[in-house]
Amino acid sequence: MGRAPLTATDERRSVEELEDLAFELREKLLHLCGTYEGAVHIGGDLSAADIFTALFEYGMNVDPDNISNPERDRFVLSKGHAAVCMYIAMAIRGFLSYDEIVETYGQLDSAYGMHPCKVQLPGVEASTGSLGHGLPIAVGMALGARGRGDDHRVFCLLGDGETGEGSVWEAVMAARSNKLGNLVAFVDRNRQLMTSFAEERVMFEPYPDKWRAFGWNVVEIDGHDMSQLVAALDALPASDSDTPTVIVAETVKGKGVDFMERNLAWHAGSLGAADLERALAALNDSREKETV
Amino acid sequence: MPVTFTFGEMLSARSVIGSTLAELGAEYPNLYVLTPDIGATLVEFRDGFPDRFIDVGLAEQACVGIASGLAYDGNIPVVSGMLPFLSMRALEQVRTDVCYPNLPVKIIGTHGGLVGNGGSTHYAVEDLTLMGALTNMTVTSIGDPAMVGEVIRQSMTMEGPIYIRLAVGKKDKVLYEPGEHDVRIGKGIVAREGTDATIFTHGTTVAQALDAADELAADGHSVRVVDMWTLKPIDEELVLRSAAETGGRFVVLEDHLAYGGLATRIADVVADNGVHLTAFERLGIPQVYAGFGEDQELREKHGYGPADTVAALRRAIAVQP
Repeated sequence: MGRAPLTATDERRSVEELEDLAFELREKLLHLCGTYEGAVHIGGDLSAADIFTALFEYGMNVDPDNISNPERDRFVLSKGHAAVCMYIAMAIRGFLSYDEIVETYGQLDSAYGMHPCKVQLPGVEASTGSLGHGLPIAVGMALGARGRGDDHRVFCLLGDGETGEGSVWEAVMAARSNKLGNLVAFVDRNRQLMTSFAEERVMFEPYPDKWRAFGWNVVEIDGHDMSQLVAALDALPASDSDTPTVIVAETVKGKGVDFMERNLAWHAGSLGAADLERALAALNDSREKETV
Repeated sequence: MPVTFTFGEMLSARSVIGSTLAELGAEYPNLYVLTPDIGATLVEFRDGFPDRFIDVGLAEQACVGIASGLAYDGNIPVVSGMLPFLSMRALEQVRTDVCYPNLPVKIIGTHGGLVGNGGSTHYAVEDLTLMGALTNMTVTSIGDPAMVGEVIRQSMTMEGPIYIRLAVGKKDKVLYEPGEHDVRIGKGIVAREGTDATIFTHGTTVAQALDAADELAADGHSVRVVDMWTLKPIDEELVLRSAAETGGRFVVLEDHLAYGGLATRIADVVADNGVHLTAFERLGIPQVYAGFGEDQELREKHGYGPADTVAALRRAIAVQP
């Protein structure tokens, strides 16, 4: 990565450690989904859990002792409905309190809501939730870094569905035009919209080619393979290079819980006690299968 | 004292934007100017600070989103463009990416009202309603070119967003002598004192209101002209004081839809404070797509031209409490 880590005591995580952390993130997500009575966007949280883990625990240079360290890498959650996955990933990394998240999520005056709010939770980089807004904001942050000569990166996580929004492609052009090699977009390519499967309603394919045609550096990976996530992050071009990078991460919506995987019903939902147990058992099973 | 005269292109509002921003660019190393391909008047800034001039091309939504990202990052972004597009195509970005986190993004543009002869695609006639609805947004509409520079300068230290509405720019008249009025965001300007009635207006129609006041003065009527250039937050004290001091006779003139702009804001102040007016007239654009024509022709066609202004004031003054 080139730069010295902001937290000198941190050692780089191994792939195995990262896999354990991703498991912990999924477990905690399910617990929240079984605690909170309203709907949690669990499908798109689970599809992005490995990406979040790879970013917060490995790829991004962040400082849990100083959440607003000016040298930190920035993270813009464009798919804002995965806020709870970001909160918990940040809690696991040491920024936020998981207990506080679980105890207050979605309640009156809580900092933790369905979509992240910078005013209520200053630790997040931007208020997002309306789809197609995050990448332009990330472009602005990357321009700001360039303007000051800072060498941190700006990461932005998008869902593939939201790349139907025209504003995404406006930002894609702006990033290339302004030579923002310090910008890294992740697309959580789970191939599901809220109410349909992507290619049935909206033909995104040839998807990586669309980004290539706009002049981006395109990396295609399995978004649930931690070693591929790590390799993609290790191979990022220097932040002072000219070409923005997109990592198109093929994922499965609901990943890790068999009855949620690729199931349109589980875009969002809540888990009663029995189903929480069932979900946690399924999550354990899926890990055992992968270990085998 | 002469009040209105044409000062020509050199001091027009649009070049005032360019030269003011160029001055401020030197003062504020974190000032960025962004535009969706409306950069012709920003040449001074572009040439002086090429790294802080971002022309995104035809992409208003990204333009405002990028401004938001720059502001999150501690910069002062100014978005300059044509208001029909900034206020409508990028409305959600203005609302959600700028106003929701209360970021110091300045939106400055032209084509407020029936100006430029572009037709209804190119007239911003709903913008003050839309921008006025947004929490945290300060909404202004300015006619005097020197004031444009002054307000841009003042906006640099504002915490939240501001919308600065101009008309065409090049034909804008100089209304005030330098230093004649205390220009402060949120404070209306009494451009002409008067006791029989008050005409409230903003932007390009201030000159028309002053002309109407002159015409009535020739008949012995004293008309107060208020340049209510900050529409939000509105100068409530000045509205209430004018009701008390000018016989409760109000005329509101604006190059905007007659409902949803300044007239509505003044009516809200009046109603909320239980004030009983003697007369209240709105002069503005009716609910039509206005068609083509020169600015003045369109104002006359749609009932808010110079003669309509004089007539409305005469009607208001004729009403006895």
